[in-house]
Amino acid sequence: MNKKLRVILNILLVAASIAFLISLVNLIASIGYANREVEDPAETFAGVFAYELDHRAYGEIMGDYYVRRLDRFTPDAGYEDLYRVAEYAHTAFMTRVYDEKGDPEKASLNREKADRLRGELGAYEYTADEVDGLIEKAP
Amino acid sequence: MICENCKHEIGPEDLKCPNCGAANPFAVQHQENMQQFAGEYAATEKEVSGFAKAVEGLGKKAAVLVVLLVGTIVMLVISSLNYADPDEDEAARRDAVKNAAAYADEADGFLERGEYMEYVSFLYAHELMNFPPEEFRRFQCVHYVAKEYYECIELLEEMILRSDDPDYHDGLDTDIRNFCMYLDGFYEVYEAQKSAEKSEEYLAYILDMEAELKAAMRTYFAMDEGALQEFLDMSQAKKAVKIREVLRHE
Repeated sequence: MNKKLRVILNILLVAASIAFLISLVNLIASIGYANREVEDPAETFAGVFAYELDHRAYGEIMGDYYVRRLDRFTPDAGYEDLYRVAEYAHTAFMTRVYDEKGDPEKASLNREKADRLRGELGAYEYTADEVDGLIEKAP
Repeated sequence: MICENCKHEIGPEDLKCPNCGAANPFAVQHQENMQQFAGEYAATEKEVSGFAKAVEGLGKKAAVLVVLLVGTIVMLVISSLNYADPDEDEAARRDAVKNAAAYADEADGFLERGEYMEYVSFLYAHELMNFPPEEFRRFQCVHYVAKEYYECIELLEEMILRSDDPDYHDGLDTDIRNFCMYLDGFYEVYEAQKSAEKSEEYLAYILDMEAELKAAMRTYFAMDEGALQEFLDMSQAKKAVKIREVLRHE
């Protein structure tokens, strides 16, 4: 009986020691994970946005905007310029659609909105001209 | 003590009276008791020391086992806390339930202004699209159509506003393929939800989305109503060829 108890206790001790060591390694790894250097997505995105602007890739910018906005309806810090440029582009795009649809009221409201958004673009005002150019020459 | 025989004084442990030699029954009984107790003591001592020898070290091992188990559990708890990233969606879902009525009013505002893209983004951003609370049941048919409308307009914008830089990645063919797929999806959902919608107000939004999508295609694919209808009757593959011809000026 005592011998059996000793054997069982020894087995439990070995198992508990192994579990302890694994947990210790896991704990050390988790501390590393919790203190990992997290890349700031806004900082990374700034580079992507600049690249897309350099190449007049407004289609990509619209894609970025729509994906981002499904998560954050109003822009987080670092994404304000993306939202402004894309909102202008969407407004300009839809103005032609409302004209074609025969909805002068919405088209007029959209033009006013586009003017306001253009004024808010600041250093990115040139993007409004480029967007207008793409929309006017389409298809 | 007094000897029962000669009344001479005797000691309590004297087995016989030193005066008359008569036996002292108390001392005899006492001696027998002491011998019995000594025997029992020796047996108990043997039993106890035998058990102590048998379990020698087990207590320490058990204590170490308990310490190891407690340490393991504590480390596992700390590790899981370290690995757990904050669930922002969960917070958004709680917020959605809490402010469902106010958000529903806001969603109505987007629909009234015809801001269907904003409507869809707003609902997704507030976790109201996939698991809408009770207040959003009335939007159900509009939801389905708006989601498809959203995909179509997004892809149209991506195609029309694509880069004209020849050095930039050209994803037009992928966008065209996706647009054709979503366009067919839109009309499937549109036909189903148009019949299912009971509210005239929301039906008007559904019809308006279709009218806008058609106007967008007429505008940016340079089609009149007849050509557009012909285009809509085409298979996805033929639609893709047609759009490619228009947008690539082939």
